[in-house]
Amino acid sequence: MLPFSYAARNLFRSKTRLLQTIGGSALVVLLVMAAVAINQGMNKVLSASGSPRNVILVGAGSEESVQRSEVPEGAAAIASASVPGVSETLGIRAVSGEIHYMNYLDLPGGKRTQALIRGVSPEALRVHPELRIVEGRFPRAGEVMVGRLAWRKLGIDEDDLRVGGTVTLNGQALTVAGKFAAPGTVLESEVWATLGDLRVLAQRDTLSCVVLRLDDPADFTEADLFAKQRLDLELSALRESDYYGRLSNFFGPLRAMIWVTAGLIGAGALFGGVNTLYAAFASRVREMGTLQAIGFGRGTLLLSLVQESTLACLTGALLASGLALLFLDGLTVPFSIGAFTVEIGPGVASAGIATGLFLGLLGALPPAIRCLKPALPVALRMS
Amino acid sequence: MKLKNTCLVAAAIGLIASCQKSETAATESPAASGPSTALTAVIDAAPAGEAKAIHVVRTTAKPGDVVTVSGRVMGNANPFVEGRAAFILGDPEVLTACSDIPGDACDTPWDNCCDSPEDKKRGIATVQIVDAEGRVLKEGIEGIGGVEKLATLTISGTVAEGSTGDLLVINANAIDVGE
Repeated sequence: MLPFSYAARNLFRSKTRLLQTIGGSALVVLLVMAAVAINQGMNKVLSASGSPRNVILVGAGSEESVQRSEVPEGAAAIASASVPGVSETLGIRAVSGEIHYMNYLDLPGGKRTQALIRGVSPEALRVHPELRIVEGRFPRAGEVMVGRLAWRKLGIDEDDLRVGGTVTLNGQALTVAGKFAAPGTVLESEVWATLGDLRVLAQRDTLSCVVLRLDDPADFTEADLFAKQRLDLELSALRESDYYGRLSNFFGPLRAMIWVTAGLIGAGALFGGVNTLYAAFASRVREMGTLQAIGFGRGTLLLSLVQESTLACLTGALLASGLALLFLDGLTVPFSIGAFTVEIGPGVASAGIATGLFLGLLGALPPAIRCLKPALPVALRMS
Repeated sequence: MKLKNTCLVAAAIGLIASCQKSETAATESPAASGPSTALTAVIDAAPAGEAKAIHVVRTTAKPGDVVTVSGRVMGNANPFVEGRAAFILGDPEVLTACSDIPGDACDTPWDNCCDSPEDKKRGIATVQIVDAEGRVLKEGIEGIGGVEKLATLTISGTVAEGSTGDLLVINANAIDVGE
């Protein structure tokens, strides 16, 4: 068995090759970590956005998009009175009629960007208990409340959405009255206005949906029964968690594209790394032959070469982990229905280390086998 | 050695006995969760009178009227209410199941996605089986006695309270599954 120090010392024979190997593996590991973190972040925000205790009543046929849905104005009151199992606090049932409206917002500095605006009443706070007002207050007529990540989704400076500032929707100036947090959900990227204002500004006489919060998720059946007993209202009952689960599936191709892109760049870097190692090991055929001549077996030499490569790739993985923590952790990524924060957690770090190990082993094996393949007399005569 | 053999035989008998026991339990469970007597009674009863189309009954029936309608289980992507004896019945004179349209390969032909919302509203009714207190039975009806999606049914029952010209809810007391 060759000592580990032999493999470690060999790494520094050619500093350029070492840097190439470390750089290449760092790039692949960083890409894998970014892909895992983005996938996890998107999945997490979509799954956390839907509570299994919440039921959304949408217009029949609009199950795929709440924004397209139309629900009669009176449906919220009828559902509140008819569906058993709805949460109740101080005699008020957790039922919220909402309008979800996508349109352009005019922002300070002449910027114009598309935003999801939710028209709500204070009852919305009963069905979305994860929401906390962190600055200012709940909006009144002529005002809006913004999620703490809305600025990122809108692609503007955080200061542009400060409390006391103004945004314009369909020519109507609305003052930012408050800022809210709803950790890990797409709500944080939304702009909330009063139901009355949005009804006028969106020129709607219907709601987009009615959200009910149940005491027990099993009572979803009661809401479904209500929707099928009141066919005149043309409603469809959906579990909020199922709705966001479907949205998550909708973004599946996008996540697949992230993987494909990372895979293509990673494959390029991997082949580059293998090529570097082929060149590095090819010049050491004679050295390997000498070591065999003094009694070291091919398996031992193969292990030593793999150790070298793995050490270099894991150094790259370490470098990539540092870069990921420095530049990716906490980064807010916008997507069509919201924004999420990238987290470099234990899962992402493990994926990075596993990739480094995989690169070290896979990258070293073909060149090492080729290096050790020549018969001893041939190897000793090689220059 | 003899003791060892005895133990092995005893263990084998025990194992076989336990397998038989779990098999018995497994075969018993579906019977235990079968339809209730109230639901079976409705499925077994024969509808009375001449069946009319839903769009005809809707315009004339008033709460408390005894009606007999015919139709197919359709009109919604999920026509049954899970865990409740209620479903949506569609009027084949107004609505067309996608499976009846040549060349249509819709995965959910019972949702009548090719029909207009107006026709859907006009051509569907809610059928429910209620207990003595008027509450919908807390058991699913899908699959019982041939009541399946797109099954053709003839139903006799009473028009429920709250039914209007826009909304027909029938408390069924007899369901016949057609061919």
